[in-house]
Amino acid sequence: MKKIEAIIQPFKMDPVKEALKSIGIDGMTITEVRGHGRQKGHKEVYRGQEYNVDLLPKMKVELVVSDARLDEVLKALTAAARTGKIGDGKVFVYDVAEAIRIRNDDRGDAAL
Amino acid sequence: MIAETQLFDPVRALAERTSAVDALVLSAWQQHLAPDASSGAALLAVGGYGRRQLFPYSDIDLLLLFGSEKSATGRKSEISGFLQQLWDAGLRVSQSVRTPAECAELHDNNIELSISLLDQRYLAGDAAVYGALLGKLPRFVHGQRDALVRHLSRMTRERHAKYNGTFHHLEPNVKEAPGGLRDLQLVSWLAQIAGTTPQAFAATVRLPELDEPRRYLFALRGYLHHRAKRDSNVLTFDAQEWVAEQMGVGEPALMSDYFRSARAVYRAALRAREVEELRASSLFAQFRDRRSRVSNADFTVARERVYFRAPQQLEAEPALLLRLVEFVARHGVRLSLEAEQRLAAQLPRLRTYFASSHPIWPEIRDALSLANAPLALRSAHETGILGTLFPELEAIDCLVIRDFYHRYTVDEHTLVAIQTLVELPGSKNAGAAPFANLLSEVEQRGLLVFALLFHDAGKGRPQEGHVDASLRLAEGAMERIRMPAPERDTVRFLIRCHLELSAAMNGRDPFDPATARYLAHVAGTVENLKRLTLVTYADICAVNPTAMSSWRAEQLWQLYLLTYNELTRELETERIEEAEADSPEQSAFLEGFPTRYLRTHTPADMERHMRLEQDSRERGVAVDLEKAGGAYRLTLVARDRPFLFASVAGTLSSFGLNILKAEAFANRHGTVLDTFSFEDPLRTLELNPSEVERLQSTVERAVLGRADVRQLLRSRPRVAPPGRKARIQPAVHIDDEASQSATLIQVVAEDRPGLLYDIASTISSRDASIDVVLIDTEAHKAIDVFYVTAGGRKLAADKQRDLEQALLGVLQG
Repeated sequence: MKKIEAIIQPFKMDPVKEALKSIGIDGMTITEVRGHGRQKGHKEVYRGQEYNVDLLPKMKVELVVSDARLDEVLKALTAAARTGKIGDGKVFVYDVAEAIRIRNDDRGDAAL
Repeated sequence: MIAETQLFDPVRALAERTSAVDALVLSAWQQHLAPDASSGAALLAVGGYGRRQLFPYSDIDLLLLFGSEKSATGRKSEISGFLQQLWDAGLRVSQSVRTPAECAELHDNNIELSISLLDQRYLAGDAAVYGALLGKLPRFVHGQRDALVRHLSRMTRERHAKYNGTFHHLEPNVKEAPGGLRDLQLVSWLAQIAGTTPQAFAATVRLPELDEPRRYLFALRGYLHHRAKRDSNVLTFDAQEWVAEQMGVGEPALMSDYFRSARAVYRAALRAREVEELRASSLFAQFRDRRSRVSNADFTVARERVYFRAPQQLEAEPALLLRLVEFVARHGVRLSLEAEQRLAAQLPRLRTYFASSHPIWPEIRDALSLANAPLALRSAHETGILGTLFPELEAIDCLVIRDFYHRYTVDEHTLVAIQTLVELPGSKNAGAAPFANLLSEVEQRGLLVFALLFHDAGKGRPQEGHVDASLRLAEGAMERIRMPAPERDTVRFLIRCHLELSAAMNGRDPFDPATARYLAHVAGTVENLKRLTLVTYADICAVNPTAMSSWRAEQLWQLYLLTYNELTRELETERIEEAEADSPEQSAFLEGFPTRYLRTHTPADMERHMRLEQDSRERGVAVDLEKAGGAYRLTLVARDRPFLFASVAGTLSSFGLNILKAEAFANRHGTVLDTFSFEDPLRTLELNPSEVERLQSTVERAVLGRADVRQLLRSRPRVAPPGRKARIQPAVHIDDEASQSATLIQVVAEDRPGLLYDIASTISSRDASIDVVLIDTEAHKAIDVFYVTAGGRKLAADKQRDLEQALLGVLQG
């Protein structure tokens, strides 16, 4: 099993959700986060005063999938989240040792 | 009347379960504790079990009463055997072990026990021990009456706060939420604490009839427990579907009956609590009575409630209703029961009166602009006044629109949105501060409240689309109250576009220039953008208490910022090339003005400006002065010349007038149109009509260079600058990129008389020409934007530095 952690643009949340849903992935955890990578922050001038926007609003999507589905899910996710510009975000993939469904103690892929 | 349904019979079901549980409990008692009953132990049912209101799967509250602590400790093993048997029988028992003396003590950590004793019922055991409790209990309750009331009030207030103080939840908790069974219980406890029967208490405190709501809430809770097979009290969407089916009614009918019941119970609980609270605290009562100073010719205030001075007046003078709403909005006091009853009797007649068109917008606008407008609207909604004034809003009363994110019914969402907006200045929400500042810059707050009142009025009409339906309903209301055309345009814009910013937040890349361009196009003007941003902020906040996270607030602010900058940039870059004009003269006049001009002026304004332009041809200048609301507006058309803007600003200051806003545009042919909005703090113009003429002629002479503005200003007394702490740090920001052909200078400084003259004349003294000006003042802060050129080009770098230093020098005084 693999855990996918994707940091994406907030306005790409709906397209990503739709793309994952279309390949049968419904379960995910979403968090409102702030951060910056290469996009860095930027300066805005508002009424003569400078505003530093260091950390930009992003969404973090986390989901765990079976090894077999990993490539397919990554493909759908990145295609949906891409604009081609700096600031599109990043995806990290981790190994998962175990998954347990608390309700009935299902283990492994069955718990996903 | 609640719809005739196959109601689960709560009275029977609860009584039956109580009897069944009684049998189990008594049998366990017999086996474990009864053999030694004479040694001083009694068994009491308390709480809901004591009241014989045992819902399926509810906890069983027991009190084991022992003559002394020692006798209780000695019988630990029997007690535990007794409890174990009940657990094994599937009952969830919460028990307390006490002596009669302990029961008659009030401690902060055992208030709940004291209150549960109000519902005690003897089950078995030593009658002498029980007798000891009975001997102490009435004295205890009587002696601690005030403390018990205060504790109950505090607990109720905390419980209500958990539900945001409203019963309008889409998925309500029928036990704990405001208007739930716990509130019914509160009324009955308060009656018992007052030492009277529920009926007598209801009559004294003048409570509405609660039998039917009680029966309905009991039935709902019974169904919920039965369905979940546990103590589950939330009427979720799924549960609504199931319960409606059991009752043989539709879900809308189920929820509308629920809300009607909850409303009656909530209001009764509030009233009972307040009456008892006031009685319990004489200090509090004194404080509240002090409010009676706000009484006026129409209304008196006693004990924090409004009364009509002459209720019969309402029959003859329907406008009294508007004054009542205004009174509540001004002073923040609720209606007395008596006033509500008077009103209720008159509502049908008032309804007929307000159904026809009357020019009441000024009264409504004033009420909606006041600090307690949210309370006034809430009271008006609860008492039917709102529906009388605006029947268009009745369809959203308790309207449930199922949505994963929304927590409230549509009417409550509307009221929460209005409350959020009005309370922005004191908001402690993360990220609220910039929006609070924005609110201080917006004029006509009442208009925003009106737009919010109608923004979702069209919900629940899927065939029409909610925005279109809301627009249509608002249109009818605006026509009836004869709202002036410009205000109507603003309301239409806000309702039509109220989802635009949220949609952009979710679906558009904020850093794509197309986003800012699109939103600038939607908003049209900075003023509209500000209003729309505030409406969006309030609308999102009212979805649920956590919807406006600081993250989301930042996103919205970011979007506002980008659009604001786009709109101000556009001021200079987007000029009118070929206007669709009525005549070649008009076309020539408009050519070269910023496109903003077309968006911010009506055809009537344009016509007036054209006339001024014609007048100006002969004398070189034409001036028009009019009073608009609380402020004056001076419009001037002239041939452009150096120091023109500065000399008008200086002349106005020399008359002691306080400039709030100003705009200056130049067209392609060197004609300048300047508009100044100003206040007359000393009422010079109002009290001395001749000064109006003198002002106009002085402005004309100053513009033509025939009056020395510096000399005029010298005669004005200098105002002392504010204390160091209150001072706003002056800032000058020069931007060469904002426009293709001009240099943008933004100045933020502490406002003071003559400031605009100083800034403008400093710019003009550097041989720079002022192309476009936007001046705004918020409280003591002046925010000025100038687009400046020299010889038709942007300012050279050294000239920019020089001007920046010169401006800072002037601002720092």
